[in-house]
Parts: sequence; structure tokens; C-alpha cells
Amino acid sequence: MNAPMSDREKALMGMGESRLRKEDARFIQGKGNYVDDIKLPEMLHMDIVRSPVAHARIVRINKEEALKVPGVIAVLTAEDLKPLKLHWMPTLAGDVAAVLADEKVHFQMQEVAVVIATDRYAAADGVEAVEVEYEELPVVIDPFEALKPGAPVIREDLAGKTEGAHGKRYHHNHIFTWDAGDKAATDAAFAAAPITVTQDMHYPRVHPCPLETCGAVASFDPIRGELTTWMTSQAPHVVRTVVSMLSGIPESKVRIISPDIGGGFGNKVGIYPGYVCAIVSSIVLGKPVKWIEDRIENLSSTAFARDYHMTGELAATADGKILALRTNVIADHGAFDACADPTKFPAGMFHICTGSYDIANAYCKVDGVYTNKAPGGVAYRCSFRVTEAVYLVERMVDVLAQKLGMDKAEIRAKNFIKPEQFPYRSALGFDYDSGNYQTALDKVLNAVDYKGLRAEQALKRADPDCPTLMGIGLVAFTEVVGAGPSKICDILGVGMFDSCEIRVHPTGSAIARMGTISQGQGHQTTYAQIIATELGIPSEVIQIEEGDTNTAPYGLGTYGSRSTPVAGAAVAMASRKIHAKAKKIAAHLMEVSEADLEWEIDRFKVRGNDAKFKTMTEIAWAAYHLPPEGLEPGLEAVHYYDPPNFTFPFGIYLCVVDIDKGTGETKIRRFYALDDCGTRINPMIIEGQIHGGLTEGFAVAMGQLLSFDKQGNIQGNTLMDYFLPTAVETPKWETDYTVTPSPHHPIGAKGVAESPHVGSIPTFTSAMVDAFAHLGVTHFNMPHSAYRVWQQLKKVGIAS
Amino acid sequence: MEVVLDKTYPVAAGLDAGWQVLSNMHELATCMPGAQITEDIDATHYKGSVRVKVGPAVAAFAGTIEILALDPATRTLKMMGKGADKSGSSASMELTANLVAADNGHSTLVGHAEVIVNGKFAQFGGRMMTSVSDMILLQFAEVFSQKAQALQSASAPVTAPIEGGAPDAAPVATPVTPIAPPVVAKEFNALGLVWALIRNFFGGLFGRKPKH
Repeated sequence: MNAPMSDREKALMGMGESRLRKEDARFIQGKGNYVDDIKLPEMLHMDIVRSPVAHARIVRINKEEALKVPGVIAVLTAEDLKPLKLHWMPTLAGDVAAVLADEKVHFQMQEVAVVIATDRYAAADGVEAVEVEYEELPVVIDPFEALKPGAPVIREDLAGKTEGAHGKRYHHNHIFTWDAGDKAATDAAFAAAPITVTQDMHYPRVHPCPLETCGAVASFDPIRGELTTWMTSQAPHVVRTVVSMLSGIPESKVRIISPDIGGGFGNKVGIYPGYVCAIVSSIVLGKPVKWIEDRIENLSSTAFARDYHMTGELAATADGKILALRTNVIADHGAFDACADPTKFPAGMFHICTGSYDIANAYCKVDGVYTNKAPGGVAYRCSFRVTEAVYLVERMVDVLAQKLGMDKAEIRAKNFIKPEQFPYRSALGFDYDSGNYQTALDKVLNAVDYKGLRAEQALKRADPDCPTLMGIGLVAFTEVVGAGPSKICDILGVGMFDSCEIRVHPTGSAIARMGTISQGQGHQTTYAQIIATELGIPSEVIQIEEGDTNTAPYGLGTYGSRSTPVAGAAVAMASRKIHAKAKKIAAHLMEVSEADLEWEIDRFKVRGNDAKFKTMTEIAWAAYHLPPEGLEPGLEAVHYYDPPNFTFPFGIYLCVVDIDKGTGETKIRRFYALDDCGTRINPMIIEGQIHGGLTEGFAVAMGQLLSFDKQGNIQGNTLMDYFLPTAVETPKWETDYTVTPSPHHPIGAKGVAESPHVGSIPTFTSAMVDAFAHLGVTHFNMPHSAYRVWQQLKKVGIAS
Repeated sequence: MEVVLDKTYPVAAGLDAGWQVLSNMHELATCMPGAQITEDIDATHYKGSVRVKVGPAVAAFAGTIEILALDPATRTLKMMGKGADKSGSSASMELTANLVAADNGHSTLVGHAEVIVNGKFAQFGGRMMTSVSDMILLQFAEVFSQKAQALQSASAPVTAPIEGGAPDAAPVATPVTPIAPPVVAKEFNALGLVWALIRNFFGGLFGRKPKH
């Protein structure tokens, strides 16, 4: 009855335990339930006619041949959606996007028409048979060209509109100008600084490329007037609101279900024409309609990431103290501004670009530009535009170190925000919660024998016969995640809180539902661990459900590492409400005052008396059986958590590369990643998330790229070209950690899944450039594929 | 996707015979597997079609050809071809081809083309396009050479009749060797060269990684 405390603690499998993932049993046995697994009676299939050209007027669409294809039920074009006012739809960024191309196509692979058929093959045949006549228009792919006076007009629908969703538009292809910081003070600091450096860099267009592509099964019940849609969405509740607003169906009759999601990485935040058309088709035809994207469609049309052309500048003293940072960005948003950012932040959290450094003056400016490319600009495994910001500042610190002949580690240490400076207000307006950068840096440098590596590099550089170039990359990143406080963060006006509802059943097991949705993060495992620790209920008997808007409380979803910082906090707070009620019941059961009770792992006991206690199981029974007078029966709670601030996870990453001087082939010899995500809920899941994030960072840095030719043809939109690393290419990862809890989060957790992506990408570039640093090279753009590195080798006269 | 192609091929016949093939649209078309002239609009305008299969991608192009210049003095053909495929590829090409004298009374076909391709064909990273178009092009050049050779022989007293040769394009896999009986075409055809060059253009195009 009185098992040792350590055993009782272990039995809960609460926070800090490497509890095995509850999701894996079904995933590794092929028993997951993804959108494409949904099969409904009489279900029809939809496929999309897409534009082969990047910019053209639609002269004529002929459906006749398509309608003759056996099995084809309907072909819908913009003309058909017009009466419903659904041929255009609002985007999350305050712009509008064509659902089906209305008179004009703006990018290659834009949706032009949809074909609905009795099976998937007939739908594809129907698509082939739709004849569309295009009158081609001049194409603009380069955002700098797009801003020139005579550039082709991409958005004719915006003619004469000089005011956009984020202020003045100064050119017909200009979307917004957004800035932060004190420009005058920053300019003055630059003017007075003894040392300044500047560097242009392009963070290329990439794609999150989740293994499962986007898709939906829409099922409208014409008799009940209810719409149920299974959808690959990272934010089902927001989708419900948008669908209700667009369709006019009361939100109470719209049910969005995100079942198992095979990876999102930002790709599944937005609302795509395919979803809308599937829903419209189901409403029109009164039958369920399934739409599943193929890989080419996924890479070509749904939500790319990045595409920032950045100019960074640093001002510093001669001994390397950074005085000011200035940056100017041209952001290529494609044909519609469909970035998924909190409404007031068209460049997301890019103003985290002062990084881990105490920089007194800073100014950043971002201009969004339309081009003839697919819309998007999502946060690919990162908080909104944080990857770009971290890349910028980390690259600039390297450039400055190079100019001053300083060591990368030394210049970082010199400029770190010191532990005693937290909470720290950055020049661009963030309030960093906590950090201890120097401790983490020292740990990494010791672990890898940094001095030894530098000595080895010096020897290799001195040896003309050495077949490789050795580079050492170092990054000290700070992320900003957990959007966010609703006073500044909202999506379409809905504050970016998140929620949790917990019901403890009479026999002491529990179910909890959240407004988030796991896409591989392991929520079913980790949320239960928080509740286990908070309430003393074994995590094994706690069910976690997410993603069904009919059952889960409203939440803003999972992206930007917000699940742990926001919903995780809601879980803790809801648990604490139950905890408080349980205490009243325990006091009643033991006939003592609440003040005499203390909590111990899984029970309330009378202070100082180990023999007198009530476990949570006993309390749960009492809550339904014999609640104290004046107390409602039951043991449930809901909490909507509006975070007071963001959280600021950080890390120190180090990478060693060996580049073949003849071929440019690069071997990642070593990658050491130290992460500090505050309180650690499940170390095994953290480890897994870090491995995943590092691998995706490796993919971006070393190979991923969506490029376009001058005519706007997308190049490499298949997995033959688009780099998706497998176990074969992926280097070995070494991980480490420190723990600096967030002071404002109920359990001190900061979020982790995106840090390794954000942090590793500049680390790879830092290492690659470092290999060339002794030759005067300060930067070259990603991806660092063998071909491009070989070109770099030729440029400096090493390869021939 | 825009590419400039410069190619030369040996022709096992003299300038005059070569020019007879080059200057006749219908004749030229049959050098190319899958290509044909479908309509003569007028003396300088034609409609044609070509079926191209590259790996899993099949495109049935239908298009127009306009002869911009035909200069017997310099044996130069200049033309503009435009075509589109229903399933979403389109191509246009401005071609200049001329014949120059080579050793042994033979000649050389020199082609310069500026090609723009859009749509599916331009999207696929088409590594296979290089080898396929090399193969097609090589065959085109060989058939061209044989046609010219046959015409040259036909003009001699003892030859095979001009009529009655294989009018349709040979399948890609058919080996064509220099000693094989000459394939004699009934008609002139520049379309074949257009599409040969387009195919070759795919090769040049996709063999090269996009520059970033």
C-alpha cells in the first residue's frame, strides 16, 4: 500500500521519463488512419487541371471532351464557382487567392479546373481531356525584376490598390513593407562604428515536402445540412471557422477532422483550392468527394517556404563587440500572399534576427513581392520566418569574425546576452525569457575538442597535398516559439491561445482533448505525461484526443513549436484546476482542512502522516459518488491558455565537414547539437524530434531547392530532383542538452521540434564557408550540393 | 525554359541532294519518328504533329510551322515552329539550318536553334531525356543522310526508284546502318528536323543542371 516513492513515481511515467510513443504501435504496423484511408459509401474522386504555363490569359476552357470520359460526373471552373462567390478566397495574410484561375493564371501548376469522377482514374482521364487555351503573358520570376517600373503586372485584380493588408504598396508587384527597430539610431550607430560588414545572401525557395501530401474528404449531408470534412490540417479549428465563413454553413454544422497526419512542417497550415473545391463539389453533388494531391502537385503548388533575399549588415568595435545590426529583405511571396503568419506580422518573427546577442541598435525591413510562382511562405519546421532570421544573424557574425580575424566561438562569447540580463528586451522588441548561452557553448567546445579541430584544420590548410578542405561551422541560435500572446498574435482575428479539456473518469482513468493536432510530434505520449505528473494518474490510462472539432476544444493548432509552449501549458493549467478540486474532495474524505494536506506524487496526504492519504483514484471515485456538499459532482476542467509571452529555446551547434577538392562532394564528419528547450517532458521524444529536425536541416542546407527557369517552369518538382534524405545520406547526429526553464511557462517547457532545423541550417553553411574562409570567401548560397560546391572550388582555383 | 542549340551532323551525300531533303517540309518530317505534316496551309505554312515519348512522359504535339526563309544559294532554311500538347507542354523554336560542303563530296548539316519549352516537359528533371534525345537525334541524322544519299543515287542512271520507299518514320529501336538500303522519302519535310532539334534540345537542357 505504501510502495516506495520512486516506484510510485515510475509507475506514472510522467514528465522526464522516456515513455515509449503511444502512436508507434499503429504506425509501425500500418494501422494509421490517414485522410486517404477514409472511404465513404458513394464517394467521388476529384482531380485538378493545372496550368502548364506561369502567366497567361485563359482564352477558353472546353469541358466537352472531359464530360464524355466514362465515369466523369462534373467539371468545375471559376465560372461555376462565381455564383457562389468562391472563385477567390481570402488568405491568412490578408490577401485573396484564386480558388480556380479566373481569366488568368499566375503561376505554373495553378488550379484551373476540377474534374469529379466515380473513381480516381476516371478523374485523371477527365483532367487530360479538358482543353484549355492560353494566351501567354510575360513572366516575372525574379522579385528584383518584379519591382522594376515596367515589370509585367501579376495581379490585375489589385489594379489601383495602393493600400494592402499591411500598409502602402509602392509598385503593382509590391505587397507590403514591414519594419522593426529604431532606424535613425541604427543608422547613427553604423555611421560612427569603426568596423562594418555587409553580406548579401539568398535563402532559397524550398518545400516542407511531408511524406503524406495534402488532401481532403468532404462529405456534405444535404438532409441534415451538415458538412464533415477529413483534412490534412495542422489547424482544424481555424479551418472550421474559415469554412463556415466562406460557405455560410453555421460553424456548429461544420465538422473538421484531422485524422493521423503524415508530417506537416508548415505545409498543412494553409487552406488550399483543392480543399475548397472538394467541399464545394460535395455540397453541389450531395456526395462525399475525395481529393488527394500527388507528389508533383504537392511540391509545385501547396505552400513553399523561405525565398528571402537578405542583405545583412553589422557594425562593431575593432575588438568585436557588435554595436548594431541592419537588414533589408526582399521576400518573394509568389502570386498570392498566402503566408501563414500571425496577422500583424507579415514577416513573421523575423525580428528575432538579433539572435543570442546583446545588440544595442537594430533595424530590419522586409518588402514582400509578387512573382509568377506558387504562393506560400510557410514556416517549414520553424516558427514564422525564424529560420531566415537565425540564418541571417549567424552568417553575419561569421562574416564579422572573418573580417576581424577573430575566432567564431570567441566573437559569439563576447556578444552573448549574459544570464543575468534575462528577462532581456531586444532592440527589435522581444522579451527573451531565459537563457544561458555561455554554459552551453563551453559544453560543446569541450565535447568536440574545438581547439584540436582548429589545429587539425590549420595543418590541413598548410598541406597542399591534402585532398580535402576542412570546415568547422558554429552556431549559437535563439528561437522564438509558442505564438502567442493574443494581445499581439492572432490569425484572422482569433487570438493565438490554445486549449485543453480533461475529464477524469470515476475509476481514475482520464481523457484529455486539445486544440492542437499532432503530425508526428508524439502529443498522445507527451501530453499524457504532463497530466500524469500533475495529477498522479498513470499516463498509460490517459487518452489523448485531438483534431476533431466536434469533440476538441477550440485551439489554433500545431505549428511554430507552439504545442508545448501553449497547449502544453493549457494541459498543466487544466490539470491544476482538477488538482484544486481533488484537494477539496480529499480534505472532505479525510475530514481535515485543505491546509493540512500536502501533495505527494499520486496522492494527498495529511501533512507529516504517511499513513493518512487519499490517492487520485480514490478521489476520482468520490467525485462521482460522494462529492462534498456545495461541490459539483464530476472531475473535469477546461483551460484556455493565453501565453503571457513567447518562449525562447536556444542551442549551440557545431559541424565539421570535409570537402573533396576535386569533386565538391561533402562529408559531414561530425555534427554536435546541444539544445536547451527548458523543462524536458520526454527525453526520448526530444531526441527523436532533434534527429528529425537536423535531418530536415541537412536536407535544406545540402540539397533542397525549388528553382524556376525564366519562363516560370518549376524545376525539380519530383523526388528524383528534390532532395529528401534517407538513412543513406543522413549523417550521424550527436546530441546534448542543458536545461534553462522558461520562467513564465507553468512547467518551464519551451518547445523543441523546430530548433534543430532552425539551428542546423546556418551551421552547415558556416562549416561549408569556413572550409573556404582562408581563401577570402565570406559566403555562398545554399544548397551546398556537390555540383554547386564544385563550382565554388573552381571559382577559387582549386578544382579545374 | 529557353535553350540555344548548335549541332552538326555529317551527311553522306553532296550539297544538292542534302538541300533537296532540307528544303522540303514533307521530306524532312519523315526523318523523324512519330512526326508528320498534317496540312499544307500555303507555300510557307504547314500544320504538323509529332508524338514524343520520353520515359513515362508522352506528348502529342500539334503545331504550326512557318518558313521564314529558304535560300538555295546558301542552302539555308530558316523557320519558326510552335506546338502544344493537350496534356500541358508547349514548345516553340526558331531554327536556322544550312548545309556546308565536307570532304569526299559529302556535306555537313549545321543547325542553330533557339527553343523555348514550357509545361510538363520543362518541369521534369528528365535525366532520361538526354539519352533518349541523343538517340532520336542520331537516328534523325542518319535517316536524313540516307535520304540525301538515296536522292543522289536516284539522280544517277541506275538507282532504286524514288517512289516506294518507307514513307513512315522508322521506330526508334530500328537500327539504321550506313549499308542499309537507303530509305527513300516521297516528300520533303522540315518538321522532322524541328522536332529532332527540340528533342536534342531536351537532351542539352536536361543534361545540364539548372544554374542557381
